[in-house]
Amino acid sequence: MSYPEFRYVAPQSVKEAVEILHRASEIGIKAKVLAGGTDLMVQLRNRATVPDLVVDISRITALQRIERMGNEIRIGPIVTHTMLASSDLIREYTGVLSEAAKTVGSPQIRNMGTLGGNIVNASPAADTIPALVILEADLILTGPSGERQLPVTDFFTGPYKTVIAPDEILMGIVVPLPPRSGRAVFLKLARRKALAIARMNLACMLYYNRQKEVFEWVRLCVGSSTPRPVRMTAAERALIGQPFSDKVLQSAGKAAAEQMVQLSGLRSSTAYKKPVVGDLIIRAVKLAVEKG
Amino acid sequence: MEDEILGEEVVEVSMEVNGESVVLQTRSNRTLLSILREDLHLTGVKEGCGIGECGACTVLMNGKAVNACMVLAPKADGAVITTIEGLGDDKHLHPLQQAFIEHGAVQCGFCTPGMILSAKALLDKNPNPTRLEIREGISGNLCRCTGYQQIVDAIEAVANRRQEEGS
Repeated sequence: MSYPEFRYVAPQSVKEAVEILHRASEIGIKAKVLAGGTDLMVQLRNRATVPDLVVDISRITALQRIERMGNEIRIGPIVTHTMLASSDLIREYTGVLSEAAKTVGSPQIRNMGTLGGNIVNASPAADTIPALVILEADLILTGPSGERQLPVTDFFTGPYKTVIAPDEILMGIVVPLPPRSGRAVFLKLARRKALAIARMNLACMLYYNRQKEVFEWVRLCVGSSTPRPVRMTAAERALIGQPFSDKVLQSAGKAAAEQMVQLSGLRSSTAYKKPVVGDLIIRAVKLAVEKG
Repeated sequence: MEDEILGEEVVEVSMEVNGESVVLQTRSNRTLLSILREDLHLTGVKEGCGIGECGACTVLMNGKAVNACMVLAPKADGAVITTIEGLGDDKHLHPLQQAFIEHGAVQCGFCTPGMILSAKALLDKNPNPTRLEIREGISGNLCRCTGYQQIVDAIEAVANRRQEEGS
C-alpha cells in the first residue's frame, strides 16, 4: 500500500515550525502537521488529505510537558494519551481527562496518539474533547503574528473543522484547576471497549450540596451528538438549585435530548440518540453524586 | 522564490533494531512497517489492516507497543525497535513464545507476533497482571481464529511462572 508523495521536515522548535508553515502557505504549498500520526496516517493512506509537505512536530520536546502553573495545568499538545492517563498531576486534579484518555483506541494508539492531535483533528467523536469542555480548558495557538488563547468551545466550527490557520500550531492546552468540591464522570458508549469510535460519550462534573440538598453547579458535555462540542446548558439549568430526585433527573435528561435535536436537526441516528442521550445524562449524574 | 523547496524527499533513518544499529536512506512517505519488512526483511511484522485497528504490525518502539503501519519512517529515526525476531534466538524461544506454543495459543499465526509483543510490553510494565489487565493489554490486537482464551492463558502462565521464580 502506497502513500501519496510528500516531503518531510521535523522542526526542532515551535518558532521554526511556525516559520515553515508560514513560508509554505506563502508559496502555496499544502502542509500538514504530524504529531502522533494515528489520524493523519489513515487520512494519508485513504488520500483524504494529499499534502506536499508533512511537518513533524513530535521532535519538539518542549511541547511534551505536563506542568502545574499556579491555578492551572498546562499540557503540551504532543503529550500522548498514555502519558495523560498515567500522569499523577492529571489524575489528581483533572481525573476526568485521564478517564477520557484511557478510553481512546488501544494501548498502541494511546502510546502514539496525542492530546493535541485529538483536538486539532476535530472528530465529533473525540474522547478528550468533552472532558476539556467541562474543565473549561483554553487552547493556545501560535502563528506568525503571535499567540492567541481561546476557550476550547470556540475552537471548533463543525465536524473536522476548526479556526486554526494553516500557519498556526496548537502549542498548549490550559486547564484551570476545577473546584475541589467537583465530582466528575466520563462515560463512553461504543460497540466494544477497545478501538471503538464513540457512538456517544459524555463528561460530567458537578457539586451536589448534601446539606442543602441541591445541585450547586453542573457542567455537562456530550460528544458525537452535536455538530460541534457544546455544554448541555438546558440540562445543567434543569439540575442547578434542584434536589437529587428521579423527577429532576428525568427533566434534565429530556432537556439534553431536546437541546441535541435542536442543534443537530433530525438525523438518521436521532431515533437512537434522543432517548440514549437522556439516559446517559441521568446515569452520569447519578454516578457523580454517588462519588460523594 | 518560486523554486523554493521545503523539507526532504529522502531522509536518513538511524535506528537500533533488535540490538543492531541500522542506518538507511528512505523516501519520507514510507512507514516503519514497510522498512522493517521490505528493507530489513523482518517479515514477522505483519500488515493486516494498515490503519491501526488489528495490531498485526505491533512492534516495540522505545519499549512501547506501537502500530508500525502508523509510524512514518522518519519518526523512527533515533528509536530502539524490537520485533518478534528480536525475542529469543535460534536455540531458545522467549518464555512468551514457548507459552504460546504450550497453550495452543497459535492457530493461523498471523496475529501471533503482534500479540506476543503487546504481551511483552504489558509484562515489562506490569509483571503481575490480572486476566482483565491482560485482556486490556492485548485489546489492540485482533485474533480472527478467536483463540483469545488460550492467548490470555499463555500470558498469565508466563506472569505466574515469573512470580514463582522471583519469590
